[in-house]
Amino acid sequence: MFPWVYGFSWTIGNIVFLGIFFSIVTIIGTTVLISLLRAYRAMQEHHAEAIRWESEFQDLPISVRRCRHVFTGEFKQRTCDNGFDCRSCATHAQLTQHKTTNSDDIEVPIHVYGFTMPMDRLYHRGHTWVMSEATGTYKVGLDDFAAHLIGTPDGIELPKLGTHVQVNGSAWCFKKGNSAVRFLSPLDGEVVATSDGSEGWYLKIQPQTKKIDTRHLLRGREVAGWLLREFERLQAKLVDPKIGVTLADGGTPVIDFIQSYPDRNWDTILGDVFLEA
Amino acid sequence: MDKQYIARGVSRMSIKKFGLWMLPWSIMLILGAYAVYLCLIKGLNQTNMDNRFAFGLWIYLDLTVIALGAGAFFTGFLLYILKKKELKAVINSAVVIGFICYSGAVGVLMVDVGQPLRAWFTFWHPNVHSMLTEVTFCITCYLLVLAIEYVPVILKNRKIKQFSSMLVFEHELHKLIIVFAAVGTFLSFFHQGSLGGLYGVLIGRPFAFRPALGIWPTTFFLFIISAAAAGPCFILLTTALASKLSHKHLVTKEVYQMLGKISGSILIFYVLLKTIDTLIWINSTSPSLGFSAASFYKFSGFGTWIMFTEIVLCGLIPALILLNKKMRMHFAWLITAASLACVGIVINRFVMTIQTLALPTLPFDQFLSYVPSWQEVATFLAVLAYGMLVYSLSFRYLTLFPQERELESL
Repeated sequence: MFPWVYGFSWTIGNIVFLGIFFSIVTIIGTTVLISLLRAYRAMQEHHAEAIRWESEFQDLPISVRRCRHVFTGEFKQRTCDNGFDCRSCATHAQLTQHKTTNSDDIEVPIHVYGFTMPMDRLYHRGHTWVMSEATGTYKVGLDDFAAHLIGTPDGIELPKLGTHVQVNGSAWCFKKGNSAVRFLSPLDGEVVATSDGSEGWYLKIQPQTKKIDTRHLLRGREVAGWLLREFERLQAKLVDPKIGVTLADGGTPVIDFIQSYPDRNWDTILGDVFLEA
Repeated sequence: MDKQYIARGVSRMSIKKFGLWMLPWSIMLILGAYAVYLCLIKGLNQTNMDNRFAFGLWIYLDLTVIALGAGAFFTGFLLYILKKKELKAVINSAVVIGFICYSGAVGVLMVDVGQPLRAWFTFWHPNVHSMLTEVTFCITCYLLVLAIEYVPVILKNRKIKQFSSMLVFEHELHKLIIVFAAVGTFLSFFHQGSLGGLYGVLIGRPFAFRPALGIWPTTFFLFIISAAAAGPCFILLTTALASKLSHKHLVTKEVYQMLGKISGSILIFYVLLKTIDTLIWINSTSPSLGFSAASFYKFSGFGTWIMFTEIVLCGLIPALILLNKKMRMHFAWLITAASLACVGIVINRFVMTIQTLALPTLPFDQFLSYVPSWQEVATFLAVLAYGMLVYSLSFRYLTLFPQERELESL
């Protein structure tokens, strides 16, 4: 195997065969080493949250990864491959470049199936919202759909003040029954205040830059289309398999879906709704 | 109890039922471990092999599982090199099956060597003129590659991926998986070929000896192509079996059909080459060595029916079924054809290993029959049990079929 080992000879056969073998071993070893070094660097540079989202997103069902432009009818069928980050999506840029800035402006809240979505804020696909405040900070909270779904959680874990959150990174977590789910942050910045009191759960985030890019967040008319699809997906999951599909006869959504349908597979449903694979 | 370890969106049987499922396989594995212990402590006299019949059930098992495990390298090659994205649905399962097959084969080889503590001799003092040396080097390297490819699948376990460092390493390793796919293809090409080649060079065994193309006998190429044809069929069958046993749709029909089509295309090519090779052997190679081909088939149990079954019944017919779109779309036909194709490869490896050694070649030789000892059978079954245990655990706790969550929600 080596020149100093008994039986080795400098023949073409030996050189070619062992040369290929050692090359293969070197390639395998080097590739593993590169992976380890890259992983170490990614951890040092705090890319773990972005990588987690990239990984989770690819594992989400296609029905969850629907493009926002499907909600507005611009596409019949389109799956997002960009981690819901429209800021770097060429198709989104192309579709929105001809729209006037005010074309989507609606001032009155949208009501879909009894869920109220105020239009003074922007919505993230993971059911959080962002609202700018006069102080320059941004308030981040749970939308009405998520609030109805969870009801009163058994436990909630808010980030410590000073924590840096990233778009599509974990913002805070909640536990309900046997399920634990994290909420995704809709923007980058530092957590400067939190609340889990009577005003509901929210964070206040101070962005690192004065102007923030919110192109990835839902707004205006598309919110209604999105919420409609979300509710349809939820309904499909809540169907009693023994009865099958039923036709709703009006009314308003219950406050705590989990408590109202205790025997459903909430682990899966919450994962689908809050985008956790 | 173990729900937190099971992927979100999929359901698995209760831990109690799972324990009951694992019990018989565990017993089989323990029995096999005892047989291995006997072979290693008391020696290879525990087997029914001897100097005349040195390749027995174990080598046959090695050749067979390595051929069936070819689905791992070939699926990886199609997905990562040829960009057949549809096969992403089965790649994790293919890697696990490949790992089981190769680690099982290497495990049995260690017992077969008789002194596994000296296994490193083959690396330290390689005989570069032996095809077996190439096989040993390639299989060892490829097992390492399969183990590395298995790592990202394990690291994506629901519990393990909560550790950021694990997830990040998985992500970075997966980004370079194309390198391992390419290395795996290169290694598989040579060890599958060399496994065939080592029979083809046996000039003292005219039943197996074949003329050379370049520096390799034709069996070198036939083994590569047959393994590439059988591999996707075995992936198809194992997926269908897992689906049947778990009562779940694991992949879409299109994935099954694609595996069938790929397999059919290679299988028909293989049958053509195998037929040409066999005709040359009957009419030229064998007579030139002083044997009529018919003389090899006059022994009871080893008649020409084996050749017919291998090439026509389990080669040509499944290839035609798999290439016919209408029949391929019929699941029962697809499974039948895939099963036949796998049986064909199993017969081929049997013929090359057992029949080759059983046939007499010298005037004073007699036809030898060989029946494996219970220790050999128990070791053989232990590999099966090991495979079932590893695959069952992987199926329960890892995401072997990424489409399952989507299909379960429909």
